[in-house]
Amino acid sequence: MSKVSNEVGARHPPGARYLREFGKPVPRERGDFTWVYLWGAPLRIMHWVAALCIVALVISGLYVGRPYFATTGEASAHFLMGKFRFVHFTAAAVIVMTGIVRVYWLFAGNAFERLPALFPMSPRNMRSMFKVMRTYFNFQTQDQPHFVGHNPLAQWAYTSVYLLMTVLVITGFTLYGQSAPTGFFYHLFGWVPGLMGGLQIVRLVHHALTWAILIFVPIHIYLAIRADYVERAGIVSSIITGGRFVASDDEFEDIDLAAGKSRPWPAE
Amino acid sequence: MLSPSAHSWIEGETLGEHLEEHGVSRRDFLEYCAELSVVLGVGSALAPKMAHAIEVQKRPTVIWLQLQECTGCVESVIRTENPSIGDLLLDVISLDYQHTLMAGAGTAVEKVKAASMAANKGKYLLIVTGSIPTNNDDMYVMIGGKTARSVLEEAAEGCAAILALGACAFWGGIQGARPNPTGAVGVRDIIKNKPIVNLPGCPPIGDTVTATVVHYLTFGALPEVDREGRPLFAYGERIHDQCSRRAHFDAGQFVETFDDKGAREGWCLYQVGCKGPATFSPCPIFKWNNRTSWPIEAGHPCLGCTEPHFWDTMTPFYGRLPDVAGFGIEKRVDTIGASLAIGAAAGVAAHATMTVMHQIKRRRATDQVPEAHENAGENNG
Repeated sequence: MSKVSNEVGARHPPGARYLREFGKPVPRERGDFTWVYLWGAPLRIMHWVAALCIVALVISGLYVGRPYFATTGEASAHFLMGKFRFVHFTAAAVIVMTGIVRVYWLFAGNAFERLPALFPMSPRNMRSMFKVMRTYFNFQTQDQPHFVGHNPLAQWAYTSVYLLMTVLVITGFTLYGQSAPTGFFYHLFGWVPGLMGGLQIVRLVHHALTWAILIFVPIHIYLAIRADYVERAGIVSSIITGGRFVASDDEFEDIDLAAGKSRPWPAE
Repeated sequence: MLSPSAHSWIEGETLGEHLEEHGVSRRDFLEYCAELSVVLGVGSALAPKMAHAIEVQKRPTVIWLQLQECTGCVESVIRTENPSIGDLLLDVISLDYQHTLMAGAGTAVEKVKAASMAANKGKYLLIVTGSIPTNNDDMYVMIGGKTARSVLEEAAEGCAAILALGACAFWGGIQGARPNPTGAVGVRDIIKNKPIVNLPGCPPIGDTVTATVVHYLTFGALPEVDREGRPLFAYGERIHDQCSRRAHFDAGQFVETFDDKGAREGWCLYQVGCKGPATFSPCPIFKWNNRTSWPIEAGHPCLGCTEPHFWDTMTPFYGRLPDVAGFGIEKRVDTIGASLAIGAAAGVAAHATMTVMHQIKRRRATDQVPEAHENAGENNG
């Protein structure tokens, strides 16, 4: 699928001179690449707000779970735990709002963002998922199936994170509600301790899932950067600008560039 | 029965007359009622009404069953705040049957119980301490030749309401902890058709019992309860939110070991396993042994004994979170979580190294800069 040559055509971009000077092949024609807009603004804003919230929540949450430094002197002179709890509860409220935006966008977003896209479980998708997994183990990146959006393995990981966050929010607000037994959250999540077998179990689940997030974050960042490195298609910037570059002649599992329309996995 | 009467109950005598007979002054009695009204959270303005309601009572009958238990609850209840009047109240409520405290024994008292239940059918109050074993045909507790279950079912049949006193009657107690060999359950698991108020604790504070009985006498109804059937006047707030050491929690001052500076300064016991944040109980307000002290004030973390299944869910008692079983030995969630997170980071580093090595190798082999790179160059141009 090579469309490169060392000839310099009439319609070459100015950058071609530099490519030649460095001994690099110069693309023959313009328009071999298409910029595909994937992620709507609400999704991108949600992503970054949630990312900041997760940083704040993990730092403050680990302190609330196990205070790693303490104050001395008169108690009235300090409010350390109070401040950490304030940060934790505020970030929690914000991340719930991003969740609400995401739920809305499950119905208002494009084909890559809608609810069905979260569950790529057709046989073809399952095969693709195992192919992706295989290349993660044998490093034969050329065998990896190409996707404009998320590959099914990545999508399942993100869907799991959504579920994880839902459980974290429910257990978190259950614990939060305990301080006001006549309040809204106490009644809204009153069923949770009974279901899980006691408040301490709720606490344990909330705490353990924090570690699950801490395991997810480095893997997520790594694989995003790795995809950029391997595919060189501006994938990391797609969560900032909303789009990425795709080669027109590349074969994608989830989009038909020639037909000019996407065919995300659930449609199969 | 608790403090033997100088003269026995006269048929038709009201409680007020009976108290007067015992030398309880009107003033003392009103003071007592005012105190109870505060305990119940109904406001001291209701104290006169309460006093009147109690005064005109004519010997309400109470049957007290002790099933699978240690009698600790009785020990606690006879130490109510105002023993002279409180005990007299319990005396006057005609406690017709109470294993530990009654003088009689054997067939005679069983007959008294049967007679009392028949005579007061539909009116008497039933207090239960202890759990009900359900394994092996309920045979683990036999009283007067009957199983605990049938004793309870018989007594519950004609009662007006049940007070389930203590952790055992609430959910099974220590014998109901895993693996629960006797199949111990609480009253609410057996009796479904009667109003039940749970007064949990191991043991509960005596004042909660007196106050609940007085509420029942005053208003003719059981107090308002929470989701677990515990009266809100006593179990409506977490220990954590009423704690005298709460300021140290908010300030970030914690006891790390029981002999450190924080322990001497009276700092928060959160780090040594205090279950105050998960426990609804009146301990910080009612306190114990005539308002002398309570566990956290004395420097010991709360065990969470008013919560269901606390032997299983609140343990380890000196740890913040339950242990995670299934890892050979039981481990703390932080140990497991941190190991996995470090493992993930190490895995990422190793995988990244391998990816880079393979990519370099592949690109050298094909002797070509990957297309995407050049094409991107064009587009940018």
